[in-house]
Amino acid sequence: MNNKIMSRRKFLGLSTGAVAGALFGPHLNLLMAAPEGTFDYSILPKGKREYIASNCDMCVNKCGIIGEVVNGKLHKINPNPKNVKSRGMLCAKGNAGAAIPYSPDRLKTPLLRTGKRGEGKWKEISWDEAFKYVAKNLADLKQKYENRSSVAFASTEGFQEEFYYYLVNSFGSLNTVRHTTLCLSTNIQGWSSVFGSFPDADLANAEYVIMLGSDRAQALITPDSVDFQRYKPKGQKLIVLDPRFTETGAKADRWYPIKPRTDQGFVLAMLHVIISENLYDREFVETYTHGFDELKEMVKEYTPEWAEKKCEIPADDIRQIAREFADHAPRSVIYPGRRSSFYSHEVYVRQTFAILAAVCGCWDTKGAVVPKASIPLTTHEIMFPFFGQTMDRVDKDAVNLVKDVVPSAVQCPMIGTGLPNDSCAFLSEKDGSWVTFREAVLKDDPYPVRGFFCFKQNPVQAVPNVQKTMKMLEKMDFICVIEQQMSDTAWYADIVLPHSTYLESWDPAHSLGGIWPIVEMRQPVIKPLFDTKTMFEISGGIIHEMLKIPSLWDDIEPSDLEDFKKNVVEDILDKPIQDYIKHQLSKYPGAYEQLLKEGFYTVDGGKPVYGTTRKPGFLFKSKTGKIELFNERYKEFGLFPLPKYCEPLKPQDPGEYRFLVGRNAWNTHTSTQNNPYLWEIQKENSVWLNTGEAKKLGIADGEYVRIKSKIGEQRIKAYVTEKIRPDCVFYVNGYGMKSPGMSRVYKSGASEAEIIDDVLDTISGGVCMHETFVTINKA
Amino acid sequence: MEKKRYAIVLDTKKCLNCKACTVACKFENYVPVGDDTYRIWVTELPLQGKFPHLHQDFQPSQCQHCENTPCEKVCPTKATFKTPEGVVLVDYEKCILCKACMTACPYDARFVSEHHEAVEKCTFCMHRVSEGREPACVETCPVRVREFGDLNDPNSRVSRLLSSRPYMQLKPEKNTRPRLFYVL
Amino acid sequence: MSTRIDNLRSLIRVNRDVPAIPFIAAGFVLLVLGLIGVARVIFEGHEAVYGVTRQVPWGLLIATYAYFVITSTGLAFIGGLGHAFGFHQFAGLSKRIVLLAFIVLLAGFTQIGMELGHPFRLMYLLILSPHFSAPIVWMGIFYGIELAILGLELLVIFNPAGTNHKLAAILGFLALVVGVLATSNLGFVFGSLTARPFFHGIYFPTFLVVSGIAGGAALLLLVYNIVYKFNVPEQFKEAMNSLGKLMGLCISIMIFLSFWKVLSSLYTEPQEAYDAVITLLRGPLYANFWIGEVLMALVLPLALLIVSKAREIKTMGLAGLTFLIGMFFTRYDFIVAGQLPPMRAGNEGSGVETINGLMHYTPSSGEWMIFFLGLGLFLFLYFLSERFLILDADAH
Repeated sequence: MNNKIMSRRKFLGLSTGAVAGALFGPHLNLLMAAPEGTFDYSILPKGKREYIASNCDMCVNKCGIIGEVVNGKLHKINPNPKNVKSRGMLCAKGNAGAAIPYSPDRLKTPLLRTGKRGEGKWKEISWDEAFKYVAKNLADLKQKYENRSSVAFASTEGFQEEFYYYLVNSFGSLNTVRHTTLCLSTNIQGWSSVFGSFPDADLANAEYVIMLGSDRAQALITPDSVDFQRYKPKGQKLIVLDPRFTETGAKADRWYPIKPRTDQGFVLAMLHVIISENLYDREFVETYTHGFDELKEMVKEYTPEWAEKKCEIPADDIRQIAREFADHAPRSVIYPGRRSSFYSHEVYVRQTFAILAAVCGCWDTKGAVVPKASIPLTTHEIMFPFFGQTMDRVDKDAVNLVKDVVPSAVQCPMIGTGLPNDSCAFLSEKDGSWVTFREAVLKDDPYPVRGFFCFKQNPVQAVPNVQKTMKMLEKMDFICVIEQQMSDTAWYADIVLPHSTYLESWDPAHSLGGIWPIVEMRQPVIKPLFDTKTMFEISGGIIHEMLKIPSLWDDIEPSDLEDFKKNVVEDILDKPIQDYIKHQLSKYPGAYEQLLKEGFYTVDGGKPVYGTTRKPGFLFKSKTGKIELFNERYKEFGLFPLPKYCEPLKPQDPGEYRFLVGRNAWNTHTSTQNNPYLWEIQKENSVWLNTGEAKKLGIADGEYVRIKSKIGEQRIKAYVTEKIRPDCVFYVNGYGMKSPGMSRVYKSGASEAEIIDDVLDTISGGVCMHETFVTINKA
Repeated sequence: MEKKRYAIVLDTKKCLNCKACTVACKFENYVPVGDDTYRIWVTELPLQGKFPHLHQDFQPSQCQHCENTPCEKVCPTKATFKTPEGVVLVDYEKCILCKACMTACPYDARFVSEHHEAVEKCTFCMHRVSEGREPACVETCPVRVREFGDLNDPNSRVSRLLSSRPYMQLKPEKNTRPRLFYVL
Repeated sequence: MSTRIDNLRSLIRVNRDVPAIPFIAAGFVLLVLGLIGVARVIFEGHEAVYGVTRQVPWGLLIATYAYFVITSTGLAFIGGLGHAFGFHQFAGLSKRIVLLAFIVLLAGFTQIGMELGHPFRLMYLLILSPHFSAPIVWMGIFYGIELAILGLELLVIFNPAGTNHKLAAILGFLALVVGVLATSNLGFVFGSLTARPFFHGIYFPTFLVVSGIAGGAALLLLVYNIVYKFNVPEQFKEAMNSLGKLMGLCISIMIFLSFWKVLSSLYTEPQEAYDAVITLLRGPLYANFWIGEVLMALVLPLALLIVSKAREIKTMGLAGLTFLIGMFFTRYDFIVAGQLPPMRAGNEGSGVETINGLMHYTPSSGEWMIFFLGLGLFLFLYFLSERFLILDADAH
């Protein structure tokens, strides 16, 4: 990297004279007119300048960054121009990351609660005390409930999360719950029901793109948000369907304010047109798919005229879009997107999308929807002890638990069926289902859960129906939160452990799947500023203290304990994390060094990977081994094997609006709003209300209103706009914080968790965030 | 060798309104957090049309580095000056904070900086450019709305953009001859 | 030595007849408030104390600066008429004219000194790095020279050895010329702002000079009425009469100029100039404009002057008072109106916040305190002089 500092100024020697110098001090150079081109442009302090490659952690994307460090202080985070995933970009959040280590609001030392929960009285303690305290509480909980699953562990994705699971598995609880069911579980489930996996879209080569409910211009995903405008091929057509005129809608060739939760009808009608007019890819369908005849039969009734009534998009337009889509196939994309925690039966919506891609052969080829490729890393083959006192997940018997969170209106037409009948529907057990899990904890059924650990997740703000979350927290004997800042969840903890920022820590290597697979890791850009630790160190610290308490190990074989001490503690946690990383990368000579230098590693020069599944005889992850247009497993479980159209929930009363949620490009969920550089872009959220409706309600732009659902009520500013359907309202997440530790956004704006009803998607266990109806009144 | 003539060409059709550039600029140039302290901005131009027929453009902008330079003309102490490449800069040590330049600027591109105790504005990141790097706003943009380069080099990206696409400039009626070009 | 002291003593006496004490006291109180303002600026910084913004960078202090210095050059103009052009009726006023002009100019300098972020930098940069095409440089030069001329004039007039009338006449003439240059150039300080077409053209340089002369006349009429407790002696009648006529003439010209300025800014709706005039006619500055500018600075004083037929000195003093109050609004509106049309519309993301499409500005308490500094300095110094100096010059 370029370390040279330009210093061409001060060309005036000392010879000009001490007298003038004494008179004019720093303005000495003014005595002579500076010749052109001699102005010194440098603005950085003189001294040592370093450029350190790492990766961002402001959201899930993990874009390549290069920290610009001047005399040990982080001046700026620059994008890594070479990173094939982030394509040399860095968004507002990524840039604002440079403020995080220096934030006065950051957690600097372990804090032990001294007052009542939520009162905000804390005592600073040492890490030693903290580790002892946590281990003792774990031992007490185990002793009291004789069930290791009585302690639940929540977390969200991130490079350090795997070390959190070292703690989880060392204690032996099966009750873990992750972010997935708040985000994209329906998407993964729906697409996987057809293709056996959740694919990416090749926006850089697609000629025709349909985006339904994805705002790629604001909810940034790399490389999609980059390719979306920067690398799109000339003439690419973009059709956007969204109840809001988003920034993505503003980029569209055509934007349709589709009636919420009728996307499925729109795509079914496209399928109707494509199949009835023989526009589908016959060869692909015959070679790779299963169940085309059943599909053909089902979509007969879904004419564009039928769909027009449902989704309020003219039948002729649907016909035209269907034909254009088929015409451009396979370089046509029906965009999977990311968050899909939208509506009940969302899985069927996503299944329908996937079927459209399948019948047109828009799969695993340039410009289509493409399965994620990945660069496999070497994992540490370790066995955690088998604990006697570990009970099955608390939400195992989901069918009985979730009756209350599946409204009767959406149980029809398949009442009694489709409810999850294993621990958490079809997603991985590790992910859990937040709503189902919380129901189980609240009901103490079949056993009490009384300990709660939370790593970088913020359920108080993130999980719909905060009243239930608060009740759940109240039940807990012990709450431990591992965080960078005093989040709303941390505010209610008994002990808060300060996690190092991503700019100060080593994070293990991760393989990020995609069309452009990549391996990334993190190295410290600056030295740690405070007494914080990473999850790797925290797990190690707690586990060491746990090992000092014999009662924590009385339900395992002594030989298991010895193996555990050797394989987990001595060989991994007690060693430098760099050893762990080197082991991960052991298959790839030079990868570690490249990661240190460039921040990322690719094989094959980072070229896109197409066609791995387009081989006769390739076995897709499905019952038939084919791309299932007709899902055999769903049939077994009593679900619709074909995505029959499901009616959306309707408002109970006139005057109710459907509440929608979404994101801006300058914030991630509930974690970044307090960053001064992002806060100044948006200091509070405001509720989008259609101009006509606002007029009816007598509400002016900028005026405060009360928004009320059956869950709760919030006060928020109105943003009166033409950019939203009259039957919907919308605001972004992450405001109206309960924690004074988020000083800038404490109580400013409205929280979503206070409004959104906890409606469950029964197949994926995902939450349905767009199934809440609200009223708006002047505040 | 011919002198360089630096310019920025913007293709705003691509702009996502993501504000990456504005935040990058603040860090790069020590611009403090504050509602009035910013060198660059991304304006959401007024929404056109009525629901459901809508259109909206986003317009990032900054100091126009005018060839006919209103701020430089009224600066009493030559604090504001032009480099040989046509970049308009402020020598903070010469600024007396009379704010005539702020009042003269038709683009509202200048503000009082507490960091420099002077009036400041976009510098085209000349401290980076002089090291062969791109301005921060150009570099960080996800979709590369801005291109920076030399108008006198016919092969530069800015020259090629301007020779291949129609463009406009802001407030042509002021006859300021900006070095910011918006391709259409 | 002793003769010199005697000579100096000959200039000084305690004028118990002049009602100076209340003004000195008021001036002192205002000065104290002003110094508190200065302290606030030093400790909290300009940005924190002043109400000016990124979009309206010039506010009350530029207005009060203009208010003082233009009035000062108006006084110098009248003084020059007396000294250099043989308007003998003004000769008897010369001491007060020069003293007033000097003190009012000093008051003006306090305003610009506190307005500038780096006033001391300006002093040496005007020598080291002057940009001669910038009107502010000439403003600095002209007003600097004006202050020097007035200072010299004071020395000449208050020479214990007697006034050198020839030198005084030359200096008076120079003060007139430099004053006119300074004030018309001040108009161009605004007229040179590309962004602000409201200030462009010949109107403001002309208007400022004419209104300055009217202001000088108004101040003299007011001061003589105060000093002589609304019973101005016969010897000044002719001078007062001429001042009234001069003021009336100037106000008439101002009405003429303003009328066409407004009309020409309305008819073709020339963008920002139009918007600026609308802020005056029916926008946020309408009360300032109609009550302050039109009623108090133009209609009322002109009506009073006409009623008095330039004979009723008391009425003329009242006209002077209303004019000076009205002129304060006139200067304020002149500065602010031109800056209210935003350079960028207040769209989301622009960073610009507009109210009804316009920028907004309200002077802060700190800015008022700095104005009090200038006003207090004027009252304090001038009435101290009235109390202790012999200002009734013998006619020459």
